[in-house]
Amino acid sequence: MNKKLWAHDFKAIPFLLPFFVAYVIFTILPIFKGLEMSLYDWTLVRKLDFVGFANYKDMFVDPHFWRTLWNTTLFVILTTPTMVLLALGLALLANMNTKLQTFFRGSFFLPSILSVAVISFLAIFMLQPYSGLINTILHTIGIEAEPFWMADKTLAWVSIVVVTLWWTVGFNMVLFLAGLQDIPESLYEASEIDGATRWEQFRYITLPQLMPIGRVVLLLQILGSYKVFAQILLITGGGPGGATRPLIQYIYEVGFTQNNLGYAATMSYALFFILLILSIIQLRNQRSGES
Amino acid sequence: MKKWLSGFIGLVLLSLVLMACSGGSESSGGESDVDIPEGATEVVMWNLFAGGDAEYMQNIVDAFNESQSEYFVNNIMQENAEYYTKLLTSIGAGKGPDLAIAHTHVLPELVSQGLVQDLDSIGEEVGVKWDEFNQNILDATIYEDKHYAVPMDTHAQIMYINNKLVAEAGLLNEDGTLKMEKTPEGYVEFYQTLRDTLPEDKIPFAFSSSGSDPYWTWWTFYSQMGGRGILTEDSLENPKYDLDVDNAVKAAFFVNSLYHDNEIIPLNISDFYSEFQSENAATMNTGVWATGTWESTDGLEFTPMPIPTIFGEDAAWGSSHTFVLPYYQKADEAAQKGAVEFMNFAADHGAMWAQAGHIPSKTTVVESEEFQELPYRSEYAEVASYVNFVDRNIYARGLEEIVIRHLDTIWSGEATPEEAFAAMETEVKDLIGE
Repeated sequence: MNKKLWAHDFKAIPFLLPFFVAYVIFTILPIFKGLEMSLYDWTLVRKLDFVGFANYKDMFVDPHFWRTLWNTTLFVILTTPTMVLLALGLALLANMNTKLQTFFRGSFFLPSILSVAVISFLAIFMLQPYSGLINTILHTIGIEAEPFWMADKTLAWVSIVVVTLWWTVGFNMVLFLAGLQDIPESLYEASEIDGATRWEQFRYITLPQLMPIGRVVLLLQILGSYKVFAQILLITGGGPGGATRPLIQYIYEVGFTQNNLGYAATMSYALFFILLILSIIQLRNQRSGES
Repeated sequence: MKKWLSGFIGLVLLSLVLMACSGGSESSGGESDVDIPEGATEVVMWNLFAGGDAEYMQNIVDAFNESQSEYFVNNIMQENAEYYTKLLTSIGAGKGPDLAIAHTHVLPELVSQGLVQDLDSIGEEVGVKWDEFNQNILDATIYEDKHYAVPMDTHAQIMYINNKLVAEAGLLNEDGTLKMEKTPEGYVEFYQTLRDTLPEDKIPFAFSSSGSDPYWTWWTFYSQMGGRGILTEDSLENPKYDLDVDNAVKAAFFVNSLYHDNEIIPLNISDFYSEFQSENAATMNTGVWATGTWESTDGLEFTPMPIPTIFGEDAAWGSSHTFVLPYYQKADEAAQKGAVEFMNFAADHGAMWAQAGHIPSKTTVVESEEFQELPYRSEYAEVASYVNFVDRNIYARGLEEIVIRHLDTIWSGEATPEEAFAAMETEVKDLIGE
């Protein structure tokens, strides 16, 4: 039996090896390199002095670290619930047995395939004052206001959140859709015989059956939202005056324009640590939910 | 047979991955799809230009390659946004180009980290005539009495006016100069007249409400008031915070009043270049590089001029593009000599580069007939001698990002100038470890 298993597994090795090598080189090694960097004074060009935990100490009293971390957290708080609920709603819509099913699936998922540069460009194009699509529509329906979507602190957040929703909700929808299609049809048939209403079916069959995938979506969404960077950089540049600057943008600036890779690595580790804690909490919840 | 096949596929995939990892080590940052003429030494050059600038630079490279057969400059475009990160790391790793372009404000970083080498000995061999350069531009490239770069130009922020609109408002003298009293009040009054006289859909002053452009204009007025910089210049690595706060605040109030109190600059125009280009705006401020674009725009009658001196001293924000020679332990001496030959050639042919709008670095070129015959350029060439370059220190790139971010809070109305400069001081001191 063992021998057979070995022979069976051995065949897989040549197929797994290339990815494994790439994974080690591009993911595992940099993780340890980053840890080493965070303990040094390190510029773009060379390693300077060993500073121990000085970078970590600096981080705790760095107001920009806390401000950008708060900005990122705000983004997570604003996007996560909407992203999960909206994806669920869209998945239900796309799962209905109508002729529009394919249209729904396609149109909800389509934005996800666009690159961040494209969606950011579209967003800027639509949101710009005086001539942008949104403001032109406002003017057409008689609203004479000229909202500065990307230059006002609150509106900039609204813009980023809405753009991100539109761009990424399709991915979550697909996960929910897969979950929906995994629910055995017999459960609905049985409940129908028992006289359950549509709402009861949703409440007592669909939702509980979707819980496992829901947890996965939630976890992926939180992790993904904490890593927000590119669309903010491209749409508002972190502005106005740093009001929307997320942690990763700060890390990027410290590393690549302030030439301080050591400190940038330290903050990356802080983010890594936050994500690790969140993942552990979430996985524990999942386990207790399953048992 | 099957085992053999899967093993083989695995090996092929593995070698593909390893090949991908080792990519780029073929030559010193070069691309191999260019035909190097036989017998010529290849000089790999990295440049950060885009658009018109890139085209004019390519013309100079082509002219150099045609002018002789000993060297071949292989001009490689790099993505502007990532240029310096890539340049610093690649030279550090010994895989950078033989010749690179750098702005003056990045030179201290390159010099202090030992990434570029001085040009004195090769310069002498090649015959670079340092005394032909504009002293103000050249000074920004000298460190400890050594020349570390061959400057190509100065690109200052200047003012462009739309002749038709300004004349329509009755603000143009017969000789083409502005009817403007050279005082802060006169400057504002000039714009108020434009605002009140021109049709409502015309913009007195098209400008950005955030980012580099207002920073440059603030810097110009701050320098006109006698402000010199933000940090001391006594040490590249350990400068001290030295902002002339009173003048910094005063200049910021003045710029801010153009947006808010006087409503001369409409807020948050998404593309102020296109407003000027489509003749919607009477004036704008931007770098000299726009000249090349405006003169190729049909029907646009414009005049470039230095930003008026309204606060005492002649001064302007400006930077300079320079050529540098990356330092390698085992440098290819032939390629290095070719690189400096090219630098010299490009500086001598500054009139070609001036087509983009830049002011040539050599006074001999500025005085040459070829340059003087170019329309517009001579009207602002004088700026080169009084440009106030940003401080010389290794923090210039990080400093710029901080200053712009805080100035933006003023223009967006989130902070008063006093608040913004106080917050900036803390952050800048943090950056320089003071």
